[in-house]
Amino acid sequence: MRAWRWLRENAVMIVGILALLYMLTPIFIIAIFSFNDPTGRYNFEWVGFTTQYWQHPFEITELTSALEVSIRLAFFTAIGATILGTLIAIALVRYQFFGRRAANLLIVIPMATPEVVIGASLLSFFLTLNIFELGFQTLLIAHIMFSVSFVVIVVRSRLIGFDRRLEEAAQDLGANAFTTFRKVTLPLIAPGVVSAALLSFALSIDDFVISNFNSGAEVTFPLYIFGANQRGIPVQVNVIATMLFALTVIAMLFVIIQQRRAEKAGEIRPEEETHEATVPITV
Amino acid sequence: MTNIKMKQIRLLVLGVLALVASLVLVACGGGGGLEGSDNSNVTVAEGGDPTGSLNISNWPLYIDGKTISNFQNETGIKTTYTEDVNDNNEFFGKVQPLLSQGDSGGRSIIVVTDWMAKKMYDLGYIQKIDHDKLPTVFNHLIPSLQHPSFDPDREFSVPWQSGMTGLVVRKDLAPDVKSINDLFDPKYKGKVTMLTEMRDTVPLVMAADGIDPVDASTQDWLDAIDKIKKASDSGQIRRFTGNDYVQDMAKGDVVAAIGWSGDAVQAQADNKNIQYVQPEQGCSIWSDNMLIPVGAPNPAAAYKFMNYVYQPEVQANITQYVNYVSPVEGVKPILEKRDPAIANNELIFPSEEFVKNCFNQVSPPGDEEQQREVEQAFQDVVTG
Amino acid sequence: MTSVRQRLVPYWLLAPGLIWLIVFFVIPMYYMGELSLKTGSIDTGYQLTWAFSNYTDAISQYSTQFFRAFYYAGVATLLCLLIGYPLAYAIAFKAGRWKNLMLFAVVAPFFTTYLIRTIAWKTILDDSSPVVSFLKTIHLVPQDGRVLATSAAVIAGLTYNFLPFMVLPLFAALERVDIRLLEAGKDLYASATQTFLRITLPITMPGIVAGVLLTFIPASGDYVNATFLGGTNQAMIGNVIQSKYLVVRDYSEAAALSFTLMAIILVALIVYIKFAGTEALMGDEEEAE
Repeated sequence: MRAWRWLRENAVMIVGILALLYMLTPIFIIAIFSFNDPTGRYNFEWVGFTTQYWQHPFEITELTSALEVSIRLAFFTAIGATILGTLIAIALVRYQFFGRRAANLLIVIPMATPEVVIGASLLSFFLTLNIFELGFQTLLIAHIMFSVSFVVIVVRSRLIGFDRRLEEAAQDLGANAFTTFRKVTLPLIAPGVVSAALLSFALSIDDFVISNFNSGAEVTFPLYIFGANQRGIPVQVNVIATMLFALTVIAMLFVIIQQRRAEKAGEIRPEEETHEATVPITV
Repeated sequence: MTNIKMKQIRLLVLGVLALVASLVLVACGGGGGLEGSDNSNVTVAEGGDPTGSLNISNWPLYIDGKTISNFQNETGIKTTYTEDVNDNNEFFGKVQPLLSQGDSGGRSIIVVTDWMAKKMYDLGYIQKIDHDKLPTVFNHLIPSLQHPSFDPDREFSVPWQSGMTGLVVRKDLAPDVKSINDLFDPKYKGKVTMLTEMRDTVPLVMAADGIDPVDASTQDWLDAIDKIKKASDSGQIRRFTGNDYVQDMAKGDVVAAIGWSGDAVQAQADNKNIQYVQPEQGCSIWSDNMLIPVGAPNPAAAYKFMNYVYQPEVQANITQYVNYVSPVEGVKPILEKRDPAIANNELIFPSEEFVKNCFNQVSPPGDEEQQREVEQAFQDVVTG
Repeated sequence: MTSVRQRLVPYWLLAPGLIWLIVFFVIPMYYMGELSLKTGSIDTGYQLTWAFSNYTDAISQYSTQFFRAFYYAGVATLLCLLIGYPLAYAIAFKAGRWKNLMLFAVVAPFFTTYLIRTIAWKTILDDSSPVVSFLKTIHLVPQDGRVLATSAAVIAGLTYNFLPFMVLPLFAALERVDIRLLEAGKDLYASATQTFLRITLPITMPGIVAGVLLTFIPASGDYVNATFLGGTNQAMIGNVIQSKYLVVRDYSEAAALSFTLMAIILVALIVYIKFAGTEALMGDEEEAE
């Protein structure tokens, strides 16, 4: 009877955890196979345990440089898309203006477009325009393009939930528009902005189809893997994927610990307690 | 709201529209490589002084780790070796718009399969090569690759590596698969795959039915495609695949497939039961070829590189790593000393007996339009 | 009294982002639209002949794949909602200090590249795997059946790959639910089900609408899952577009197919938005007020 009650009270959490397990299962498999010791070049079947590939994760220079390109690209994409998208989100939530619906539509359509179409049309465009050299530049342009819409949606949902009176109060106290934005608006929407940046980083680092068209001779991490798949994916790919995952987990734990400390400090000096814990990945 | 404000807003909107309009005009001005082309004005790649830098586009994991740095050290040519060819069609889609404008994107050598090489050449995207500048290549090129049908005099292509398309089977699970026709045996229903590359799959199916793929008609191709379609609709064929059939096969989900010899060599290291079987009615032999595209910078360095990799000592390193059929004479004796297992592997150094029924990879007959009709029919089966 | 400068503010804010989208999305698309009405080939060049037959051909010839794409995407979206809602709910209300970590876990799969993830799924679901034997034991899969290379595998792949796009907006909507409202419901002796149906669900409707669109739209244009996890006769329209572009190189037909797909999606979008009664995807408050 008690067990039943416990189950009922925690049903949502149990389902939630099961769903998370479902999402993480492939990552466990990837991590497990990063310790595999395949006899040949295919890493599909479990052969034996080794840490040899963890000792030399960056042995394959093409792989390492592809990873480097991807991280650099995702970083700049996150910055560019977040700035452009946040500005649009502010305009759409805060202002009534002529052309608002059209702007909304323009943001939705890219998400309704098959990736192949975006990739191919952009390539023809770049070549016709003949200003940009195919490579990092064109990849960056494309990635910012397809990430902006997601940023708008994420930041926007955060903006809608926020109390405009805070800004009005600041302005009443004599702050100009820029100061108000910097001191009031930005901190309040920061969680949304950070999660938007993270999402665009993730979208960028995972993109294959659009990149494939516009990469020129640049090779990103997904492009490398796709190619390597033709001859057997090296174990190092699993190692690096696992590392990326582990690094982000560690970063997250670090943020959480920091947050706890801040909360503790807040208990001692209640006047400094923020109205809401800073949530780094809140959408 | 006053008139002045409205005017300012209108002005801004107009400004944006004007910007857009001008960009539209720019966009419509050119054709992005869609004006059509032919090879009426193909040039021969110049020789000259091979210094400076060299950009090569090749398939992934298609070279050993030392050759490029050795080449750089010996010649002083700064070499950028990029593994950005994943698939003939995708690579074509990516470079075609550039090549049609006479620009190779900085590449001096690209590596694609026979039929794609021919297609690019016919479109005028590839330069002819000067045999006088390639002494090492033509001294060591094996006889069977000297006169392929797509380029009888090797006017524009130099083989990089070759391979065979045939049967790849799980010896333990499908011991009696010997012919392509065995793939249609109901015993193996749902355990069979074929390749998405039409030129690999369809000719083998035709050959199995006694039609010589080399002079098959369009109707023969369509009939073979129809046979494949029936097997696909009935669930006999599990999937159409790229190289990923190897994974299915390692798991035993697939017991017999149309596949590539090089995959089988490498899969064997993981699973002894995965074996290449020469189809009774023959296999299809293909090469990936080095080409010098139009607008290629520094063709002299490209020649130098081609000669370099055709030295048997250098080639032996590549073969040892790649495990495909080497186009270079004199590699076998070197590897006999160094790595006898490779030297005695029929899939890497096939005997004449082993490939006696094989044919060079073929394309459908007829002009572009007819070829496309066949390609479309096959694609409709694959994406059915 | 607003000044001219203030009235221009929204345009200044929009300008950089929208110009980016116009230049790098609208113009290339316009160009594609033109291409979809041309006839020709790479060898002969393309001429604008207003070939609307490209469209009628596209629809009549590939209606199966269109239908299949929307069917797969629809089922996957429903599954995403069924899995995603409890997950988002758990993160928003039950996770406490683990909230961030759980949210991160939702986005984490992106960092490992779809191809390795898909290969991992093939390892999990291969014909002789424990998972499949279990499914056979409970008779979800017939004894002589399989999971890989079936419609079920494609749908499962779509569900897996697009789940984050469902969970994130749902979470955003749930997080805005004022916990006091739920408590008030409890105080008024509403059952948990009633509270959920009367309060939580209506408030989170915009999140559901957004999540459904963000999942359904990309899922219906997807081709990766069908390529790697599907078998024969399970191709989606994305596979056809892909092969038209890259293999057959019939660029006009490929463009026509893409535009047809986009048009269907947009029409569905408009109907859906009308039906849902808000500027759904954006969760726009002015419209709802």
